[in-house]
Amino acid sequence: MKRISIILASLALVCGCTLEEYPYGFYSENNFYKTAADAESAINYVYDAITYIEYSRAIVFLGDMNTDVMTPKGDATAATKELDGWKMATFKTNTTLYNFYKYSYITINRANSVIENVPKMDIDQALKDRCVGEAYFMRAYSYYCLARNFGRVPIHLKPTRTLDDTTVAPAESLDQLWAQIFSDLENAESLMQVNAAPRPGRTDKVAALSLMAKAYLYLASAKESGAPFYKDMNFGVEDYYQKSVQAAAKVVADPSQTTYHFDSDLMAIYDVEKSDGPEHIFIMSMDRTGETEGQYSKISKMYIPYISGGTIYLKQGDTDVLIKSHDGWSEYQTAADFWNSFEAGDRRHDWLFCDKVYDVNGNLLASYPGNKLSYPFCRKFIDPDYSGDKTSTKPMLIRFSDIALVYAEAAGPTEKAYELVNFIRSRAGLSPLSAGLSKEAFRAAVQKERTYELAFEGDLCYDLRRQNKLHTNITEAKGQGWTAEDMVFYPIPSLETDLNPYIK
Amino acid sequence: MLAVMLTASVVALAQSAQKLTLSGVVRDTSGEPVVGASIVLPGTSSGTISGADGDYSLRNVPENATIAVECLGYKSQAIAVGGRSQINIVLEEDSMFIEETVVVGYGQMKKSDLTGSVSSVKTEALTDVPSNTIEGLLQGRVAGVQVINASQDPGATATIRIRGNSSLNGSNAPLVVIDGFPYGEAGALSQINPQDIISMEVLKDASASAIYGSRGANGVILITTRKAKGNLTRVSVRQQTTLSSFSTPLDIWRDPVLMAMISNEGRKNAGLVEQYIGAVNTNGVYYPSINELQTSWSTNTRWDEIVFRKCPVSNNTTVQVQSSNDKTMFTASANYFLDNGMYIKDTYNKYGGNFAVEHKIIENLKLKASANITGSKRHSNGYLSYNRNPIFPVYDENGDYWQYSVQDYYHPLAITNLQKDETKGMDLISYFGIDYQIIPCLNFTAQLNYKHGETIRDVYFPKKYTERGVFNDGYGGINNWKDDNLVVEAYATFDKTFAQKHHFTAMAGYSYENYSSRSSGLASVGYVNESLGNENLAAGNPEKYQISNSAYKTELVSAMLRLNYAYDNRYLVTFTARADGSSKFGANNKWAFFPSAALSWKMNEESWMKDIKQINLMKIRASYGISGNQGISAYQTLSRYGQHKYYNDGQWVTSIGPGYISGSTGQGGIYAVWSGIPNVGLKWETTSQFDLGFDAAFFDNRLNFTFDWYYKHTSDLLRQRNIAPSSGYDKMWVNDGEILNTGFEFTLDGVIFRNKNWNVGATMVFSLNRNKVLSLGNAVEAGLNVDTRTGMQYEFYGNSLEQYRAYTNILAVGKPMYVFYGYVVDGIVQSLAEGLDAGLSGDDAQPGEFRYVNIYNADRLNTINEDDRCIIGDPNPDFTASLALNASWKGLDFNIFFNGVFGNDVINTKRFSMPSNQPLRWTVDNRTEKYPRLNDNRQTKLSNWWVEDGSFVRIQSATLGYTWHYTKKDYGRKLRFYVSGDNLFTFTKFSGYDPEVSALGVYNGGYPRLRKWTFGVDFTF
Repeated sequence: MKRISIILASLALVCGCTLEEYPYGFYSENNFYKTAADAESAINYVYDAITYIEYSRAIVFLGDMNTDVMTPKGDATAATKELDGWKMATFKTNTTLYNFYKYSYITINRANSVIENVPKMDIDQALKDRCVGEAYFMRAYSYYCLARNFGRVPIHLKPTRTLDDTTVAPAESLDQLWAQIFSDLENAESLMQVNAAPRPGRTDKVAALSLMAKAYLYLASAKESGAPFYKDMNFGVEDYYQKSVQAAAKVVADPSQTTYHFDSDLMAIYDVEKSDGPEHIFIMSMDRTGETEGQYSKISKMYIPYISGGTIYLKQGDTDVLIKSHDGWSEYQTAADFWNSFEAGDRRHDWLFCDKVYDVNGNLLASYPGNKLSYPFCRKFIDPDYSGDKTSTKPMLIRFSDIALVYAEAAGPTEKAYELVNFIRSRAGLSPLSAGLSKEAFRAAVQKERTYELAFEGDLCYDLRRQNKLHTNITEAKGQGWTAEDMVFYPIPSLETDLNPYIK
Repeated sequence: MLAVMLTASVVALAQSAQKLTLSGVVRDTSGEPVVGASIVLPGTSSGTISGADGDYSLRNVPENATIAVECLGYKSQAIAVGGRSQINIVLEEDSMFIEETVVVGYGQMKKSDLTGSVSSVKTEALTDVPSNTIEGLLQGRVAGVQVINASQDPGATATIRIRGNSSLNGSNAPLVVIDGFPYGEAGALSQINPQDIISMEVLKDASASAIYGSRGANGVILITTRKAKGNLTRVSVRQQTTLSSFSTPLDIWRDPVLMAMISNEGRKNAGLVEQYIGAVNTNGVYYPSINELQTSWSTNTRWDEIVFRKCPVSNNTTVQVQSSNDKTMFTASANYFLDNGMYIKDTYNKYGGNFAVEHKIIENLKLKASANITGSKRHSNGYLSYNRNPIFPVYDENGDYWQYSVQDYYHPLAITNLQKDETKGMDLISYFGIDYQIIPCLNFTAQLNYKHGETIRDVYFPKKYTERGVFNDGYGGINNWKDDNLVVEAYATFDKTFAQKHHFTAMAGYSYENYSSRSSGLASVGYVNESLGNENLAAGNPEKYQISNSAYKTELVSAMLRLNYAYDNRYLVTFTARADGSSKFGANNKWAFFPSAALSWKMNEESWMKDIKQINLMKIRASYGISGNQGISAYQTLSRYGQHKYYNDGQWVTSIGPGYISGSTGQGGIYAVWSGIPNVGLKWETTSQFDLGFDAAFFDNRLNFTFDWYYKHTSDLLRQRNIAPSSGYDKMWVNDGEILNTGFEFTLDGVIFRNKNWNVGATMVFSLNRNKVLSLGNAVEAGLNVDTRTGMQYEFYGNSLEQYRAYTNILAVGKPMYVFYGYVVDGIVQSLAEGLDAGLSGDDAQPGEFRYVNIYNADRLNTINEDDRCIIGDPNPDFTASLALNASWKGLDFNIFFNGVFGNDVINTKRFSMPSNQPLRWTVDNRTEKYPRLNDNRQTKLSNWWVEDGSFVRIQSATLGYTWHYTKKDYGRKLRFYVSGDNLFTFTKFSGYDPEVSALGVYNGGYPRLRKWTFGVDFTF
């Protein structure tokens, strides 16, 4: 056979052709990572991964749909209904969980490529550091998302090049996985600078510190609350609370950090035209001028109910100014109990949830309850300049107020903590927290504040996770008798466990 | 032609009759001179053979003698001299004659020497029905070849399958080879005018197709174009005018009152506000009440009359010139083809020119060259809404097109007049070759083929009336595509008989092919002024220009060898081999080797059978071989990065990195599929085929029979396997999976009756194929689904239908490809109790809903869920059969062609949405078990209720013609008038317009099948 091959190969020589293929019109590792612009576009490709609809929607609603604050519409997709109903038997094949898992790793693979290739490039060191730092941040963010949801997942630290590279062993322990996250965040923090102004869709040193603060708080509170597996991790609860405070302090209590701060105008935080506002430490980047969903966003339609298939108008805050929006698909519905549980006079209830819809002339079109509006809907994601279904709505991933509450919770009832929480409460039109609360009472108050301040921003379920309250605070789960052990992690998707021999 | 040498030893006979010298010309029915015909006086040794111009001269012929004229390939004749000295003889070609030569890959063979399964089609008779492509006309004509003409749009192409489907992701279309040039996939050969083609050979088994190596697995269709012959000059003009009309009436609402009642009932049952209540709906459109419709309402627009042409007239004109002398022969032809569709302004135009020349430089060296140029223009204006609501007016009070909302993108006149979609194409196929007979037993052929094709598509979608235009504030685009294909081939053929009994032929050759294509697309949106449409793309918003381009290149190097050996014309052996080196294959598999072997035994040549006069041929054939399918597209073996627009810092930037989107998945295809990891071991699909054949001819070749049984096994199917998602990728191409096709086919062809004036014949073709998916590869890697009830492994195939929110077809291990998978319905729920009892819940349990059957009970849940699905139909036919009858009486000829497809299932998606079936609904007063109630909110499941028997028998065509040979001098000069009908009648139980749908068996409505009447004139002078 070998001889035949030689004869055949010599045949090829007769025509002077080699039968080799050369890529035309697409990039590969061989012709990329040459210039500064390449490095820039490579890091943008990492961020680009989180904008696909399979992931961008899940990042947000996976924090709310499976809790009691949100319910799906009657004919919602199976994946959404399964999540809402905690149908655990289906979770291994749940498409939302699968896509969430998959896109976390797509982001990681892209980040790995930057981390491996950019340092070898002959370009400006500052640019290199920034790109690599952002890649470390995105890798840490992705593992942080994976660790919270799935527990011990495989750790890929190199870009996947061959079939053999595609499967690696899962983390040996939660400690190992979280150590990787902290290591990446430290790298990110040391390599990046603080941006002069927020850059929507990009991150900087403050984002790394913020995520670090969130991660330490997550572990500290999880171990403290006795959450399964977390309680066996090797670290000191107080130590991690302190580490959380230290990181958060550099964000919320460092006068030299002036890029990010509270936005005193509650409505401005949710103004799509102000995505570079001071609250937005990390925000997904989308714009209505995009060509495909992901480049633009339809997330607004998920929260808004179907009304007439056309334009609706909402009143802005407590004014009579009418704000335009398209109507929606009634996918993410507000649970009535949650809506009713806000303190009286909370602007986050009165202004950020709509129970009345108007026409262009300000005539009432529909209202809740009872008048053609099936639920009071969250208007945090509307875009008044929508174009058809396309909007510039950008889901908020890390917000200054979030980190302020992280600081407060980790630090306990300190003066600074009170100051931060009370700012948020007063912005919402509420009275300050009672002074002199015990550490436990204060932390509980902060956690409650998170529920309302960060409502429908994709946080609640993770707060319940770290407080070991999944099995107690979610009606659907309680009804089925799920235990903390059952619920602490989602199962790793079956496609991974089927194909990855390292996962038993 | 066999030259029969007669030794003429003239013996003087004592005879009283006068003797004369007889002379004349021997021609065939088309007027071509017949060279080498023997003209003899029976019972004597006196005779001669006709010369190069067909002329002959025979001395000493008695006045009252009868001469016998014989020539291989023609019917023998006995002619009474009757005192004439000049007799021009017209020999009728013996169409049943087994000695005709057929084209095989890289050579020709006597048909009787074939060891493989090859079907030959004389295409001339088929072209009485005009067609854009020749392949569409093959429907039902060749055993083992399935042709589906699913589309009737202007310029439509056909789907061709030889012996079933054998690939999942690669192509299933046979390779088309035009005069030795491997052109590409069959089905869309619009570049060659069918009237320029004289014959087609279909290579079906491996012995025949393996010579095409990595592209032979789906069979090969060889096309031979017309070349001049004989020593004459002739001009022919063929004109065809075709009138089209629907063969069945349109199924649309003529009575707005009934339509409105049906609509209201459907909405009422669904708990929705009724539409026809005499009120303005949310879009601001006033819908009259039923009462108003019955009394005062006047608008009843007949959209079909606006949308459809009354009787589209199409045209096909061909002019051919052929001329030849001893040294040079040439043909030239020009063609104008116009296909007007049923939709207004939906047309296809084609202009073609073909020029071929052959010149003998010296006696044994021929030069050949040809060029074929085709220009086409397609103005697309199809899919207009002919069933638009008749209460809608055409225009509003201002004379603008009336819209029911700004999102009304379906106004047929607005689309016709304002939207642009035009594709212009140009193709050049050229050929240059030499044919060098070095010594009598050794021939050398070299040829160079070059094909160039290009298309340019212009589109414009206006800001109003069209979805794309509204969305983009006007959308204009230009798409360019071109390809070039260069093939260089050379082969030598050795042919010699040793010791009279050992006939040996050998062919060895080499081929190099270089294919490249490029495309570019330009688009802009956001037009300020629309008057120029896409003529000035720069007028769009400069910030939103869209550009794209791509290129594709492949190379193929091959060597081929064929050895034929015949012993005593009784035992025949063929061996072929081809080695292919392809740039598409992975680095570890650059070369592929495809051998085949065949044996044949001509029993009729055995001494014990030779004397049975009634048997002219009896032959057994057996062959086995391996061929391939290169269904990989280029660059699958390279690692690949992707690129995407990302909105960064208030502007769009290009982002680049590992992984690219190679496809889409999920409901509506909204989820991306990520690829980019190379597979260096990727290779061709391999088909091994075993064929047993039997050929026989009886009664002077008046009855012919050909039978083939085959076993065709395809392995190494190209499939995409799943990759563990933690890799950051979804899919990767691998070779894994197997398909089996087995079947048999036969052709029975006979002359039923023949005399001086009459000739009646019939041809029957029968094909049966059984297809089975043997393996879909590693079940875990492939991520196959499992049917809980039976354990059957399967995956969904094709597209999901919104109507059922489900895929209709699956590929299942152990089942035929594309079977339907869904629920079972055994009737209609008659009461809520009955519905609940059946395991239904909610709205599904209401009276009038489908009564789905709970076929899976091991879950102990008395509910209908996904586990209750099963295979509910098979779109593959049990068998296909056709019958052609032809009769001629003097100059009159008539033929009729029946084509039938039997035992295939079709999903009729329109079974409950048409004016003809909606009124048959279930109501409280009409508690039928056949139709459900009207319910606009129903989420319909795909079930066997939607599956119908798609069997049909069609009177595919019938032609009546009259031919007048206006001069005795040249039989080929003639005038023929004919009328032919296409799709005259269809016998079927299928309830939609027509059951002939694509291979997946899903009927989507469309419009009725067209019946076409063609009036034709052929004039040759």
